[in-house]
Amino acid sequence: MNPAPHRRRSANRIHPAVYVALGGMVFFSVFPLYWMFVVATTDSATAYSLPPHVLPGGNFFHLASLVFEIVPFVQALMNSLVVATSIGVGQAFLCALAGFAFAKLSFRGRNTLFLIVVLTMTVPTQLSVVPQYLIMSRLNWVDTLQALIVPGLVSAFGIFWMRQHIGNVVNDELMNAARVDGATTWQIFWRIAFPVVRPAALILGLFGFVNAWNDFLWPFIVLKSPERYTVQIAIKALQNNRDIDLGLAMSGSFLATLPLLVLFVFVGRRLVQGIMEGAFKG
Amino acid sequence: MLTFVNVGVILTIAEAAAVDDHRMEGRLKRVVTTATAVAAAAMILTAGCTPGSGGSGSSDPNTFEFWSFTGINQQASVDAYTSDHPDIDVKLTEVGDTSETAQALTAALAGGKVPDLVLIQGDDMPKFMQAPENFVDLTTLGADQMTGDYLDWVISQSTTEDGRVIGIPTDVGGMAIAYRTDLFAAAGLPTDRDEVSDLWPTWDAFMDVGKQYVAATGKPFLDNTPTSIFFQAVNQGSERYYDANRELSYDKNPQVKEAFDLTLRMYEAGISGRIASWTPGWTAGMSKGDFAVMSAPSWMLNAIKTNAPDSVGKWDVATIPGGSGNWGGSYLAIPARAKNPAAAWDYIATMQSPEGQLAHFLEHGALPTTPSVYTDPQLLAKTDPFFSDAPIGQIYTESVVNIEPFYIGPDDATIGTELLNTLTSVEQGQVEPDEAWDTALTNVRNALRG
Amino acid sequence: MLSPATARKDTGRPTRSRQIQQGVRERLAPYAYIAPFFLLFFIFGLFPLLFTFYIALFDWNPIGERSYVGLKNFSDLVDDPRFWGALRNTFSIWVLSTVPQLLIALGMAHVLNHVRLRAATLFRMSMLVPYVTSVAATTIVFAQLFDRDYGMLNWLLGLLGFEHIDFTASPWGSHFMIAVMVAWRWTGYNTLLYLASLQAVPRDLYEAAAVDGANGWKQFRHITVPSLRPIIVFTVITSTIGGLQIFTEPLLANPVGGLTCGAARQCQTLTLFLYEQAFGRFHFGYGAAIGVALFVLVVIISAINYLLVTRIRSERP
Repeated sequence: MNPAPHRRRSANRIHPAVYVALGGMVFFSVFPLYWMFVVATTDSATAYSLPPHVLPGGNFFHLASLVFEIVPFVQALMNSLVVATSIGVGQAFLCALAGFAFAKLSFRGRNTLFLIVVLTMTVPTQLSVVPQYLIMSRLNWVDTLQALIVPGLVSAFGIFWMRQHIGNVVNDELMNAARVDGATTWQIFWRIAFPVVRPAALILGLFGFVNAWNDFLWPFIVLKSPERYTVQIAIKALQNNRDIDLGLAMSGSFLATLPLLVLFVFVGRRLVQGIMEGAFKG
Repeated sequence: MLTFVNVGVILTIAEAAAVDDHRMEGRLKRVVTTATAVAAAAMILTAGCTPGSGGSGSSDPNTFEFWSFTGINQQASVDAYTSDHPDIDVKLTEVGDTSETAQALTAALAGGKVPDLVLIQGDDMPKFMQAPENFVDLTTLGADQMTGDYLDWVISQSTTEDGRVIGIPTDVGGMAIAYRTDLFAAAGLPTDRDEVSDLWPTWDAFMDVGKQYVAATGKPFLDNTPTSIFFQAVNQGSERYYDANRELSYDKNPQVKEAFDLTLRMYEAGISGRIASWTPGWTAGMSKGDFAVMSAPSWMLNAIKTNAPDSVGKWDVATIPGGSGNWGGSYLAIPARAKNPAAAWDYIATMQSPEGQLAHFLEHGALPTTPSVYTDPQLLAKTDPFFSDAPIGQIYTESVVNIEPFYIGPDDATIGTELLNTLTSVEQGQVEPDEAWDTALTNVRNALRG
Repeated sequence: MLSPATARKDTGRPTRSRQIQQGVRERLAPYAYIAPFFLLFFIFGLFPLLFTFYIALFDWNPIGERSYVGLKNFSDLVDDPRFWGALRNTFSIWVLSTVPQLLIALGMAHVLNHVRLRAATLFRMSMLVPYVTSVAATTIVFAQLFDRDYGMLNWLLGLLGFEHIDFTASPWGSHFMIAVMVAWRWTGYNTLLYLASLQAVPRDLYEAAAVDGANGWKQFRHITVPSLRPIIVFTVITSTIGGLQIFTEPLLANPVGGLTCGAARQCQTLTLFLYEQAFGRFHFGYGAAIGVALFVLVVIISAINYLLVTRIRSERP
């Protein structure tokens, strides 16, 4: 643990041990990525030698170009982008919609149906991959992107979260006034409720995006042709290569992680915020 | 269906993003809008390429899809073919290792997109032979004129009892030992390949040489025992995991047990580097000289060249203790639902004819299955500078010509893997040598039950 | 998509039929809004789950015959040492990854809560970096860092005078390796979750404790941990469910194994075993039976967690 012995509460003095702990945390969080970059810019033989070479080399473009030769990596990036964006956007929109309905509309069975939604959160669907695969086979969706996207649009937690959020921040009086004016439910949602919760929906969408981007098991089962691979499966294909070159695998790994890192630079703060807001408050 | 729904969703969101909302940071809004637009565009573009059932395939007679496994360098053959047939486009995919490729093929045959041409490794072939209707009978495309060109025991593995030819053999794995001349010299061992071959007429002699090497240098002699000893020794017998009546006999066959025990003795002699084959550490070890000796069926030479190009000229090839045997070898087959069997067949007929196999051998060292070329002067004279000009043509044909072929059955791959894994576990210190055989039998039984 | 109805025409009042249409649409609107979720969940969530139970009763080969075998798959599973091995591996990896992870997260959250850091956001963002990194990529990196001969970890061990450890060879070693990978990914995420909950704790509690002479450790034990109990339970539940489904790391970490994660299945988890049987050996029925076993496990663990939560809830003032 990190005990901080006698500190005056009001002082801004921070015990060095704290900085050590924090620094350690940052270091361990980032080091594996750094190492990935080092290997991606040198090669396998350098990685498999002691003492370790910790500085990047100049081999980046060579290895990267090999990666693009061996697997259709650009296509894989596009595939990942399409799937992750569709899921992110889809989840954000659909969860806001359903959350709005549960929070602000009254209809018969509302509470029961919402309870069902909550219960579904406990169902781990990953273990039904066998029948899920058979369903895809029947729909002729094996080896397609929609097999990844459509099932990914469900998020019970997202609905739960949006309902809570909408319940808190959307103004009832405003809604009633709009109703009196003759607005339809859709208009109320679209023009009043959604704009207010758009930041939260965005965060939801971001998490959906990140999770979809990193998803491995289901794409691994469902995708067969290299043109359909997402970047995660493309990395596995690079690792497969019997003429095993770690430099190649690391180069592909780095290229696959880069888009998310770039995105993270832009929206990382939002992600942090999202986690902080999504926490249970007792 | 999906495209419509998603485009609708995306356009709606894009409209929303365009609405002025001072609560959203400008930068963030731009990112979202851009990503949305890109995704929408990408989806519209790829939506057209979303395949339906059985795969898009191509009705274009000048294109065909070819699945191979990694490590066998089919790309070179494909390049040779397309340079002679520039109008043909071959889409080669290296799916994974031999098991993964077989799995992918099985899944495809079950109801997905099948390739037009597929390379199946010899140990995986019997399982596919159990359901020959999944493949085109190649005699209908002209194979009956070719079958005589191949070694009997090789082509019989891919012919059904009623005479349907399911696969055409591509190569066989004649066996030998590759060794590092520089490391041998440093250990005070002879480096000339004939002298080296004389050092180990038997596996026990081989073990003695290994001990000598370790005593002289303190470094491992062999890369590992499961692959380099067991998988070689077990392939030298007259029967393997099935007997002559095609019944499972892995547990009763004394030759299998002998090979297994031999491997254990080699491990206990302390000559193994315990570096499992086909791992990154193994490929690194080849270039670094972490071991001096490794198994070298003909197709392995190419692997060494690809993985350790810096060690050129430091290797040589000697005969294998115990004489000849066969390890590996593959077949080309055409799935029944292939869109373009004609183009696939043309590739097979061209590349796997005796001339085609000879040409491939001269370039890449994979031993032909067409015995007519075994006496070809070009083949006999072929030397490989990477391996100190070893006459690989002679070495490998000699190892193959005298073998007594054994039957390979449907569960061969599974049994072999379990035995190999058990021996690897011994090398990793997870299983005691005296328990190893029983553990192996249990593992095989568990794996076979389904 | 429902288009905004033009309620006002030039004459001012909507027609009767238009009103009825609108009325119906309005009444149906809520159901339409929640329908996508239920539809998708039914097709891709609930139905497959039920179907798993069905398939488990068959010897189901996608390219061969299918035959009804009743509960044979389950009795085979109970007799199968590979199943029990996978169960042990899964449990072991889960414990090894979850316990340190949550403890470290707790500690870090406590620390981050107390101090006013200048680069707070930067620290927090850096802790999320593992979360956004590709699982496949990090598995391969870590596998190399744990390599027996050339990995950095073993190099450090060598410097300290210890012998190299072959992590992929022993069950403990491979479990540890995978646990490190999983913990690396999730510790920062959980830290932030705890931190958020901590920010709801009133400062004066801490100040009062400090005045009373309690040092950081005492504050941690008596204020931080109790306040966080509900969220700790939440993270334990989610990491349990997640832990039961670890797949990518075992698949990619051990090159010797292929689908078995090790020559002796040292690190094969339940989900990997399921995948091996269903998609490697094409025994869909047996794979489904493993899925059912996983489901039973999840139910049991969720029940235990639920009981714990209600007990805790009833304890709180």
